[in-house]
Amino acid sequence: MAEKIPPEERLTNLVVALMATEIGLTKQQILESVSGYRQRYEQGGVTAALEKMFERDKDDLRALGIPIETLGDLADPNDLREARYRVPQAEYDLPGDITFSPAELAVLSLAGTVWRDGSFSQDARSGLRKIRALGIDVDEPIIGFAPRLDLTAPAFTPLQQAIENAEVVSFTYLKPGDAAARLRRMKPLALIDAENRWHVYGIDADLEEERTFLLSRIVSEVTPTGEHFDAGLRAGAGERGLAGLREVLERNVAHLEVNPGTEAALRLSRRSRPAARGIEVPYLDESIFADELASYGPEVRVIEPERLRDAVITRLRAVLELHEGRS
Amino acid sequence: MARRAQPLLAPDRVKLYLSLVPYLAERGQVTVTEAAADFDVSPEDMRRMVQKLTVIGLPGEDGYWQLDQDLFNINWDLLDGEDVIELTNTVALRRVPRFTAREAAALLSGLRLAREVPGMDDDGVVTGLIEKLSRGASAAPADVIVAPSTTDDVRRVVAEALRTHHAIQFTYRAPDAEPLVRTVDPVKVHMTSGEWYLQGWCHLRRAMRTFHLARASDPVLLERAAEHGAEHASELFGGMNTPASPAPEDVAATIRFATDTAPLVGDYLSRAEASSESGITTARVNVGDPRSLKRLAARRGGAVEVVAPPAARAATADWARAALDQYAI
Repeated sequence: MAEKIPPEERLTNLVVALMATEIGLTKQQILESVSGYRQRYEQGGVTAALEKMFERDKDDLRALGIPIETLGDLADPNDLREARYRVPQAEYDLPGDITFSPAELAVLSLAGTVWRDGSFSQDARSGLRKIRALGIDVDEPIIGFAPRLDLTAPAFTPLQQAIENAEVVSFTYLKPGDAAARLRRMKPLALIDAENRWHVYGIDADLEEERTFLLSRIVSEVTPTGEHFDAGLRAGAGERGLAGLREVLERNVAHLEVNPGTEAALRLSRRSRPAARGIEVPYLDESIFADELASYGPEVRVIEPERLRDAVITRLRAVLELHEGRS
Repeated sequence: MARRAQPLLAPDRVKLYLSLVPYLAERGQVTVTEAAADFDVSPEDMRRMVQKLTVIGLPGEDGYWQLDQDLFNINWDLLDGEDVIELTNTVALRRVPRFTAREAAALLSGLRLAREVPGMDDDGVVTGLIEKLSRGASAAPADVIVAPSTTDDVRRVVAEALRTHHAIQFTYRAPDAEPLVRTVDPVKVHMTSGEWYLQGWCHLRRAMRTFHLARASDPVLLERAAEHGAEHASELFGGMNTPASPAPEDVAATIRFATDTAPLVGDYLSRAEASSESGITTARVNVGDPRSLKRLAARRGGAVEVVAPPAARAATADWARAALDQYAI
């Protein structure tokens, strides 16, 4: 019975071996010599299971961001029997000119705390560990601020993965006012937190037009389709998406009358500007803004636009109908 | 950084090794406790990982066993005797790896939120870091962006007071209450869902209080130094609905809604007793003033019904009626 080598040992040995070689190692060489494979190879030679293990290990390491290069046989690029594998040091190492000051590490440590839990918080911590491994210590942590980002939308993680992989996704999306949810296919490019809601910005894969969706209105799972798009589309996408939202804010302006000193006046004041009569408040989404305005009851009156005004009235009527008389 | 250690999968452990080796190489000697804390694992886990490191190394030549110089090695006496780690042979992995796309994305979005703190990016620190993280990633991180919000005087004064340890004064209007001038030793700002909540020592109440800063106005940075500090800050702060008071005087109220719309009711349910039957949930919630439920009911446009007490139900109907009266329809 060969000694059992734990997988993390085998995987780490594989990284070390692939980094130590300039010309690359063939699969055969790896299975024969790298500890973790070697013991099994000595027992049974190259088996399908052993080959499969190697393929899975390569995928696992690539998922960790380790750049495994495949140098194929020049005569036949599809023939992987003679392919050689290596990890180029220059692509693995954090570039030498990237350094961090203790003050920068303090800011980064604060930034690393924003994700309450879940995989993103682990990613932030392992990123910080790499920086600390450079030998920097925080001089004085920034106290007094506790920024938090919430990740309650289940669509967030699959969308983020799809952005990284430049992969088309599909999901069903329920627009307010629509009777039924519609199936959408999208090239997701950026995730944007605006007015406390996560949006995904991208390109509708069927219409080939820019679209921004609210994650909270995605009513199905987000499914990767296996179809990939040009990753170049991602460059600057966050800024384009933000610019798109700013345009919406310029287009959607409500004209309101607000009773001074009320909750409505208080909550709307940050977003408003004075108008000839009352105030003007830009908004991203009619339905969500109508919900908010309805909550203020008589503290606010919508003058324009009519659709927003009607949406608020509809809500108030429903509330009145439900609460008139005994329960 | 003390967190409950989760079971680690093999790739997670590989990832730890890739950062642990340069960390140890850089530091020379480090205690097991300190390394464990820095890597979010238990000291036993850390000790085991370091011991295991000594069987990792370069492949043996032509089927021969690996030689000592081909393997990582540690100072065993130091580890066994003093619980201190020291690498004595390093065969690879000396350099810190690039960030994964996800690591960079997680830190980048945090930076974009941290930039909201007035003064944080005054000398371009955040902007510089965003560039470094993007360049130091092994693959382009997904754009995860936080739209900048407007900075007002209240936030500026609070940030300044926290930095310089001064007390502040502002007018505070609790929901459905008269405004009061409060003097506060600021301790911590919680930035969440785009809102700022200030935790601090309230001179009026002589106790720690949390203030929703959207309700504050006319901020003044006072000359007097803040007397109460971080020792009073708590990790968690009370329910969103009654941020300024723990409220032993809460009143029970009953609300009803379709069970599948529960997310719309949100924070109110965190401390509620709820029961569901044929798709309808009835919840007993504790609120400072049950009449304030009219705002929740109105926001949900008929999806949430205030059942009891009767005064709260009537207040909700009146609220909607008064609002509709404005439209003369």
